[in-house]
Amino acid sequence: MRFTITREKLQEGLAAVTPVVPNKTTLPVLANLLVQTTEKGIRISGTDLDIAVSTEITADVEAAGGITIPARKLSEIARELPAAPVRISATGDQRITLECGRAKFKLLGLPKTEFPSFPAVRFEKALKIGSGDLQRLISHTAFAASTEESRPILNGVLWEIRNDLMRMVATNGHRLAKMEIPVSGGQKAEHIIPPKALEQIKRLFPAEEQLEVGVGENHLGFRSPFTSVFTRLIEGPYPGYDQVIPKDNDKHAILDRAAFTSALRRMSVVASDQTHRIRLSFNSGMLKFAVSTPDLGEAQDELPIRYEGDPLDIGFNANYLLEMLRFMPTEEVRMTFRAPERATTLEPEGWSDPAKYLCLLMPLRLAD
Amino acid sequence: MSPVGSTARARVAILPADVADRIAAGEVVERPASVVKELVENALDAGAMAIDVEIRDGGRALIRVSDDGLGMPEEDARLAIARHATSKIRDAEDLVGVGSFGFRGEALPAIGSVSHLRIETATEDGAGVAVAVSGGTLVGVTPIARRRGTTVSVEALFYNTPARQKFLRGARSEWRAIVELMGTLALVRRDVRFRLVHDGKEQWQLPAAASLRARLGPLWGGEVAERLVAVDDVQGVIHVAGLIERPTDVGSTSRQVLVLVNGRAVRDVGIVRAAEAAYKSTIPAGTRPSLVLEVTLPGREVDVNVHPAKAEVRFVDRWTVERAVERAVRRALGTEEAIASVGAMPRPEMPQALFGTPLPVEVLRQAVPSAPAPLFEPEASSPDAAEDGGRPPAPTAAPAADPDLIVPPLIQVHRTYIAFERGDALVLIDQHSAHERVLYERFMGALERGDAPAQRLLFPLTLHLSPAEAEAFEGHRALFAGLGFDAEAFGGNSVLVHAVPNPHPRFDAERCLRETLAALTGDRLPSTIARHERLAATVACKAAVKAGDLLAPEEMRALFLALARTTLPAHDVHGRATILQLTWDELDRRFGRT
Repeated sequence: MRFTITREKLQEGLAAVTPVVPNKTTLPVLANLLVQTTEKGIRISGTDLDIAVSTEITADVEAAGGITIPARKLSEIARELPAAPVRISATGDQRITLECGRAKFKLLGLPKTEFPSFPAVRFEKALKIGSGDLQRLISHTAFAASTEESRPILNGVLWEIRNDLMRMVATNGHRLAKMEIPVSGGQKAEHIIPPKALEQIKRLFPAEEQLEVGVGENHLGFRSPFTSVFTRLIEGPYPGYDQVIPKDNDKHAILDRAAFTSALRRMSVVASDQTHRIRLSFNSGMLKFAVSTPDLGEAQDELPIRYEGDPLDIGFNANYLLEMLRFMPTEEVRMTFRAPERATTLEPEGWSDPAKYLCLLMPLRLAD
Repeated sequence: MSPVGSTARARVAILPADVADRIAAGEVVERPASVVKELVENALDAGAMAIDVEIRDGGRALIRVSDDGLGMPEEDARLAIARHATSKIRDAEDLVGVGSFGFRGEALPAIGSVSHLRIETATEDGAGVAVAVSGGTLVGVTPIARRRGTTVSVEALFYNTPARQKFLRGARSEWRAIVELMGTLALVRRDVRFRLVHDGKEQWQLPAAASLRARLGPLWGGEVAERLVAVDDVQGVIHVAGLIERPTDVGSTSRQVLVLVNGRAVRDVGIVRAAEAAYKSTIPAGTRPSLVLEVTLPGREVDVNVHPAKAEVRFVDRWTVERAVERAVRRALGTEEAIASVGAMPRPEMPQALFGTPLPVEVLRQAVPSAPAPLFEPEASSPDAAEDGGRPPAPTAAPAADPDLIVPPLIQVHRTYIAFERGDALVLIDQHSAHERVLYERFMGALERGDAPAQRLLFPLTLHLSPAEAEAFEGHRALFAGLGFDAEAFGGNSVLVHAVPNPHPRFDAERCLRETLAALTGDRLPSTIARHERLAATVACKAAVKAGDLLAPEEMRALFLALARTTLPAHDVHGRATILQLTWDELDRRFGRT
């Protein structure tokens, strides 16, 4: 194997793939990148066995072949290289030579046969979606997934595809985020995807690109002309989120997102750093905040709001609220309630977007 | 008619004085140790600075106590053997606020009536007098030459009271009682040199000691004494000082307990219990700590004239005294001295606070609102809860110490311990034990206030329980609710959980609840601790991060700060250590750098 590549192209390819290479691994080859020649250049691939990323970059290939190269060392070298074409060649299974200007490196790699093969994902009947739509769904929902390991299903994000819409749902059992985007010509499918893979998808594909989504036994593949991401799926069934979204909340509040956020942040200073509990008292025209933490202190604040319904005192984890507000796309948000122990919803108010966005938050018990 | 039965019926007669003395002797002099006690206390009252005690055959053959005290002139020596002759009290008024040891004036005549007693005494070096008494009868007064002081020899104790003699135990057992007694006296009067000899062999020689710890060394063993934690606390008029065992050491040696009230050794169950209450949750149930506590309070607050052997006292306000003792011990346990350490540990002159700044124990405790805790069932009410009820409304302001607390760089080792460097030592925190302690105190606080935050669940948990677990759940239902578990029966042995506490991001509510119920059903021991404490401890144990959990730097930091805010950071709820320190001295020693 022998090829010449520009320093910039090499850095670009490495930047795309290296983030999935695990820092610690019991399987040594996973610390390496697979570099193979293709018709137009080279393909660099990396994996941690849950997620695999592969990207193709243009290069001048002199001799076809493939080898694995230590990922960290190659990246560090690429970063320090002078501005000159980079010439990489492999002798035998393991020896790599890299030359750039007058600099010359010899590295030890591993045979390409040791590199795990990519999951079998079929792209024949691939679904075609816009990368931008996928990115919007991911950035508005993935934050709500659980990081706690007791219920693996909640560690994933549910991705539902219907004929006319795409939907993502994530929850940790305390709060939930759901977004829907209308699409055309979809097909029915449901997958539960680890947020880590979604993060790579969001990072790697430019918003304007069209993606092909291929399905495997237990994997999903996302493919653009140059780059592909493969991910393991979490096996379902996902909890029936639709049943827990309240339909009969009879109290409504419209709040200024920025003002609500800053009041919450102020109150959070004296909220318990474990539970972040805060008391909200909704009255017509006014929202009162109160925090009282034993051993720490108390705080109060007020915010003019529009509110319809009987007065309501309700407790929340302020961090959950703040996180949701961060992703609300409008200047005002609508909250709905029924009772202090029932689910509360948050939605963008006055959003002129075909998409629909809803967050759900379960309250914290208040001490009386 | 001759009086019928004149020989059969004994006439009532006043007992001869010597017989009365012999009977009275039984009250004060029941075994050799009590003779030693009377004689040594007399010597101390005479202002002795050096006391030699010689014993033969467990005190049955000979008890000899020599001192360098004031001594007595001849007439006093004669009087001393008369009943109720005492130089210490003139009338009943003096009984209030007795400051000296022996005051009943019974000792010498009583002893003299049941032995061969010889008193040699001199008020100054040179001319003295020897008074000999045998079975209560004066047998001779002779002038002698001796140094200032008094020597009392008691030979053949109980030779004329065979019944009493028969009840004496073996020489070894009597000797043990004497050693124990002398140990106590030596701790009370640390300024006096003591020497104890048995059958010609020296048991110990104690030079005058500057501190309790110095005196304890030869008595309990130097290493044991070094590892004790100093107590020193004043509350109102009550001063509590002493040395107590570290929770990690409790149970490793035989238990020794000594309570002094105004310098007098007393048996006081209440004080010991108060001290032990302070150890609550730091040592395993059923084990009890060794301790020496000196309680000092004004004479009017205490009545020592309850028992002839003077081992019991009566406090005017016992509750306040016990509270002061508990607080003092608890404070001592909160200092870094109380932390388990590897090898020997140098003691700082002033007890340092654990994490660099003084721990505002009282501030924290007072910050707990004094609202009654309606969740308690009557049997579950703890002394703590009762105290809280009596407290004036507490400020809710934050203790000022927190912002000053500097968190040192922390690293996790073995996925089990958090290591950091502090001043004079390498310190290791057991992450599980530490978290357990943090959660325990938080849960106890929540139970007392009844305001545990309960996070409602989007998807209620359904738990299928065994009949025993269901019963345990039912039995603790109100307490579970107090901790934030909101659940209802769901037919059969199932429960539906609607809300759970959320003490930390890794918390697995379902597993915690299951394991807690399993632990509650497995535990059939009649528990000495209240049910709410046991539940809080169990849930804390199950909810805490485990050994093997990888902690992020900010998690370690949060745990460090939370632990620093607890009242007993160095001890977990099972009596194990949460913190271990390896001092530089110890490291240097192990690397041969010394």
